[in-house]
Amino acid sequence: MDIQHTESLDNRLSRRGFLALTAAAGAATALGGLPAFTASAAPLRPTENPMLSAAQAAKNQLWWQAPGSSASMIQQGLPVGNGRLGALTSNDPAGELLMITDDTLWTGGRNDTLQSDGQFPYSQDDFGTFTLLAQLTVDIPGHDLSSANDYRRTLDMAQGLVSASYEISGVTYQRQIFASRPDDVIVLHFSQQGAGSYTGTVSLTGTHGESTTADSAGPCASFGASLANGLKYGAAVTAYSSTGKVGLSGTSLSFNGCKDLTVVVSGGTNYLPDAAANFRDPSVDPEPLARSKALAAARQSVTALLHTHVADFLAAFGEFGLDLGTSSAAQRGLDTWGRVQARWQNNVPDPELEAAYVQFGRYLMVSGSRGSLPLNLQGLWLDGNAPAWMADYHTDINIEMNYWMADRAGLSDCFDAFADYCLAQLPSWTDITQRLFNTPTNRYRNSSGKIAGWTVAISTNPYGGGGWWWHPAGNAWLCLNLFEHYEYTQDRAYLDKVYPLIKGAVEFWEARLITTTVTDASGTSYEVLIADSDWSPEQGPLDAKGITYAQELVWNLFGHYLTATQVLGRDTDYSKTVDGLRERLYLPVVSPTTGWLEEWMTPDNLGDPQHRHLSPLIGLFPGDRIRPDNSTAKDILDGATNLLIARGMNSFGWANAWRSLCWARLKNAEKAYQLVVNNLKPSANGSNGTAVNLFDIYELSPGNGIFQIEANFGTSSAVIEMLVYSRPGHAELLPALPAAWAASGSVSGVGVRGGFVADFSWRNGKVTQATLKSVGGLGTTVYANGTSRQLSIRPGESVTLRNLG
Amino acid sequence: MRSSSSRLLPGATARCARRTIRALLVLAVTAGLATALPTTSPQARAAAAPTTTTTAPATTTTAGSTSDIAATPYMGWSSWSMQSSQYPGLNPNGNYSYLTEANVLKQTDALASKLKNYGYDYVNIDAGWWRDNNWTPEYDQYGRQTPDPARFPNGMKPVADYIHSKGLKAGIYLPVGLEKEAYGDGKVPIWNATGCTTADIVYPDLRTTNGWDSSYKLNFDNPCAQKYIDSQAQMLADWGYDFLKLDGVGPGSFKSGDNYNNVADVAAWHKAIAATGRPIHLELSWSLDINYAADWKQYSNGWRIDTDVECYCNTLVTWDNSVKVRWNDAPAWSDKAGPGGWNDLDSLDVGNGQMDGLTNAERQSYMTLWAINKSPLFTGDDLTKLDSYGLSLLTNQEVIAVDQSNSPVARPVTPMGDQQVWATKNPDGSYTVALFNLAGAPASVTADWASLGFKGNASVHDLWNHQDIGNYKDSITEALPAHGSRLFTIKPGGSKLATTSYEAESPDNTLTGGATVVGCAACSGHEKVGNLYLGGKLQFNDITVKKDGIYTINVAYISGDPRSVTVYSNSSNGSSLNFPSTGDWNTVDTVSIRLPLKAGSNTITFDSGSGYAPDIDKIDVPRSG
Repeated sequence: MDIQHTESLDNRLSRRGFLALTAAAGAATALGGLPAFTASAAPLRPTENPMLSAAQAAKNQLWWQAPGSSASMIQQGLPVGNGRLGALTSNDPAGELLMITDDTLWTGGRNDTLQSDGQFPYSQDDFGTFTLLAQLTVDIPGHDLSSANDYRRTLDMAQGLVSASYEISGVTYQRQIFASRPDDVIVLHFSQQGAGSYTGTVSLTGTHGESTTADSAGPCASFGASLANGLKYGAAVTAYSSTGKVGLSGTSLSFNGCKDLTVVVSGGTNYLPDAAANFRDPSVDPEPLARSKALAAARQSVTALLHTHVADFLAAFGEFGLDLGTSSAAQRGLDTWGRVQARWQNNVPDPELEAAYVQFGRYLMVSGSRGSLPLNLQGLWLDGNAPAWMADYHTDINIEMNYWMADRAGLSDCFDAFADYCLAQLPSWTDITQRLFNTPTNRYRNSSGKIAGWTVAISTNPYGGGGWWWHPAGNAWLCLNLFEHYEYTQDRAYLDKVYPLIKGAVEFWEARLITTTVTDASGTSYEVLIADSDWSPEQGPLDAKGITYAQELVWNLFGHYLTATQVLGRDTDYSKTVDGLRERLYLPVVSPTTGWLEEWMTPDNLGDPQHRHLSPLIGLFPGDRIRPDNSTAKDILDGATNLLIARGMNSFGWANAWRSLCWARLKNAEKAYQLVVNNLKPSANGSNGTAVNLFDIYELSPGNGIFQIEANFGTSSAVIEMLVYSRPGHAELLPALPAAWAASGSVSGVGVRGGFVADFSWRNGKVTQATLKSVGGLGTTVYANGTSRQLSIRPGESVTLRNLG
Repeated sequence: MRSSSSRLLPGATARCARRTIRALLVLAVTAGLATALPTTSPQARAAAAPTTTTTAPATTTTAGSTSDIAATPYMGWSSWSMQSSQYPGLNPNGNYSYLTEANVLKQTDALASKLKNYGYDYVNIDAGWWRDNNWTPEYDQYGRQTPDPARFPNGMKPVADYIHSKGLKAGIYLPVGLEKEAYGDGKVPIWNATGCTTADIVYPDLRTTNGWDSSYKLNFDNPCAQKYIDSQAQMLADWGYDFLKLDGVGPGSFKSGDNYNNVADVAAWHKAIAATGRPIHLELSWSLDINYAADWKQYSNGWRIDTDVECYCNTLVTWDNSVKVRWNDAPAWSDKAGPGGWNDLDSLDVGNGQMDGLTNAERQSYMTLWAINKSPLFTGDDLTKLDSYGLSLLTNQEVIAVDQSNSPVARPVTPMGDQQVWATKNPDGSYTVALFNLAGAPASVTADWASLGFKGNASVHDLWNHQDIGNYKDSITEALPAHGSRLFTIKPGGSKLATTSYEAESPDNTLTGGATVVGCAACSGHEKVGNLYLGGKLQFNDITVKKDGIYTINVAYISGDPRSVTVYSNSSNGSSLNFPSTGDWNTVDTVSIRLPLKAGSNTITFDSGSGYAPDIDKIDVPRSG
């Protein structure tokens, strides 16, 4: 194995340097707890054309040969988003429809009056729900799809562009839609080549009964209103053309004979991520702010808007590359939906489609997780105001799964929205925990009567509130994500920022753990610490003590806390106390009855063997206490494997993704891959699988499929986990490479725990070359092709390994 | 025997509403349903293949061959869609009250001024002309229907005269059999038939017939029965009518069994019309039994293949109620139509989107299906209120020309999913190709030239938009709106597709379950593989190609009813494909499917799974993908 140190290669391309600059400028407006929707200085605009060449762009494009249905936007609309402001777009020639969201537009509130059972109310009024901001239609009656030829729409994932083109009577019409973060607007640009023109109307409507008004200045149409919880919101649209006439038609904008047309939409709320301010910014008046933002953007040429957006988006999308092999000419001839269908029907691997699925997950994250709230159950996208489970933040798998992908897929910056959310909620979570958790009717209360720190409910909202039931171990799971981000980035300032969250969770568990006596197989009895009464998500007894889920999470939490105190040099004495508690924590054993790792601290199976949740396997993934190497007792490894086998291969979306991640950890490449393939099954009439727009669909009831974005992210994470397994000090390449991808491939920009980013390629299942760049890590051991090599690197440096094994 | 039970209920309900509100008929229709439902084993059905068991006169000439009647599918207007609708203002004097002299003349004027130049020339009066607004019938002294004086104060002849004065043809309507109310205790004399009374023309037990059991069945063993038909025919001829819709005809009209076998009635009408010396087009209704297609073709000029297209609701039709079923039902009949007699898909209500109850895309698809099936093109719209889009559809001469051409009726060349391609080969070597998206959301639809038997470039002409849209290599894909369509003329410019045929009966294949090789006169090699049901499987072995690829494979098959089969190559998951009916168990048709093949040897499997699959004759595999 050759080892070659190189200098940092950050100055490879002048474009990259420029992009980093614009990205930094864009990001600055969103840091420090500022509301996302606020007046901002004019963005820095690129001085050179940032657009990718057609060939470069084609590497990360999906395309379809039909527009989306206005009646099925969640499965057929193409998403755009600037991190806060998003839309699903239909791309129909005669009627472009945008269902527009702002991730802060939530009903509900703090929700801190418990029900008689000591649990949280969970409805749209008290807990609240994510809701639509507005609906925008651009009607072009002359452009009937029945008379359009060669229709195509494209999602350019690297540049953040939705486009559509079609031909009518010899004229080629094109449109582009993008959600710009620097200009804080959504832009629709309609153009044509030939003697064509656009005539029609632009209408902006609310979805909560708002009244739109129009102003000939601009012209501009807008509305503003307040929800019952006092949250103010508003949206505005304007349009302009270099030819033809743009005016008003009632409360709509009209355009007539325009050779080109640009429509600019803005909108937002007065949400403020600050519990002390009750999550409101009284200085923001959303409707006039939306108008001024839309009109300000409309003073720019569409080229300026486009280039500013693309420069920002390209920088955020980054350099993560994934090549899982070459697909056939026949596969390449199909559009994206055709490939999804062929992949399933023909049962022939389509490595380019499978890689594109990961890039689509990254596109969703870049579009939905920058500078505002984190991705919820539907990310940033809605097609109605009654999303399943309120499109909230579910803390017993879903939000955690959303963010497993960020660091793995080279999107560490996108993780900030999650960390910032937790930090902003912490005061309220702490207050509610300390006031209400030990309510006598709460079956999960601490039997010790003690209370400290914070925890959460199964559902959380953006107002510091919880919904449904208490979820005592939820704090530890959130902290697992938070700490792993530190492991990937080695960012000490970040760790310092989230330290109060981790410490608060530790304090909660210090107060909650109870002592019990267990007898091991040799007949020796000893005292252990176990979690108080809890529910292993979301099955079995409601009042089980010492559930594996909680034991594993707390074991992780305490260990991470110890590392954090060491890194930050804080709370040294307390860390010793916590380490002592960790030593006494009970850890699960294998049931002699079932042969499975126990879920409920009993040999008995008390639930559904094929349950969707893998809660008792949390020590296999996302934790890695249980490893397929000599560090884990064989009976524990076998028990975990047996339990995973019992859980089966035929679940859905996120549950398949979690299974795939576990099989990847167990180095069973084919099972891990099959679960990815299962999630790529085309959804038909709402069945489990992948929709036309690649959103993952869960069949809530026959014919009723809903979007669950964590499956997109979890499946993408699983693909990456099959290529790299890492923990601090350990980086294993191709731990679970399936035959479908073995011939040749490469990945670049993939995150490695311990503070590295890896680029490597393979052929015939063997790593041919690997480069590790330190983003803060000082050393690790690389495992590949059955051999290993210890590396020492300085931050910023790269090491390239060749002639591996 | 058809057994499309899923469709029967709406139609049955509609029929109840249509003719009467009396509960008695509801019962009758229900009884009809019961007889239509049961299905037997595929073997039994195969054995029951088309044999005409009714009395058939010696003549074998088809109805149309004696004159130029129905040389091409007829075109015009019919009163029924507006009569049947609850659309505001259409029927102010009760159900079906739209039918009046004034309205017919108004529509005649509109047809003459707007549509006559495009070939629409029939003005057809539908049910009720002899019934008052309470649906009470009126008869002359010979038991023949006589016009209701409120609806037609001047009688029927002046109406026909007026229609003729506009250069148009006049159509009228009768139910099959002797209407019960005309029986008159058996004492009513038959016109021009000395000694015959109504008692002589029916059976002593007064057995009833037709789709509503509203008539007594005629007993043609007694010559008086033919005399009664002669008297009706002569009356219509005397009035000057050029077209008769004979309704409630069975087997069909949701009825089966001897009492509802009206083949003899139809033959009698054929004979009676000939005797009048006046050419009168005879159209049969409704849902005629395909097993009697030869009879319908022998004695009539057209037959309704399905239940009413109308929805009996607040519009004329709805997509879901009864328009969309015709995509599934039409293929069975494709080989039955030709000059002199055509498959009638019912009224073409595409002229006014609001009144029709359809989107523009649905209206275009509706007319596209009718045209490629060479169905009669008669609209039931209010011709005085055609909207501009509707007028553009109804007057599209390129599309009308498809309907009126001498090309064969089109068939689906793909399995019957939400997206379908239908095609027919034209005498000049070009193809008429329709793309359909029956899904409720936009979708792309691809026509592969390979499914038409050629490859390479072809020029594509868009008939609806009157545009040459260019040359396309190997296929064309277009985005279609929900329930949308495109209609193209494809002119091959490339070469014939070289294929290798693999016979289903080849000893190289593997048969599983009950699958067996059986004789088949119409099949290549005179054998096929049948009994593919309940786990029966046919696996073609050693399908050899030179390159990996996705291949368009033509499957020649026989299926007397629509059936599905799961098809896959090698170890792929495959998909369940719905094969359209070939109309009977003696006719071979072809659909193309797309399967991945790898270089070298492959297997292709037709798996009946838990259902009944079509019989397979052979597959043709392109030599290059």
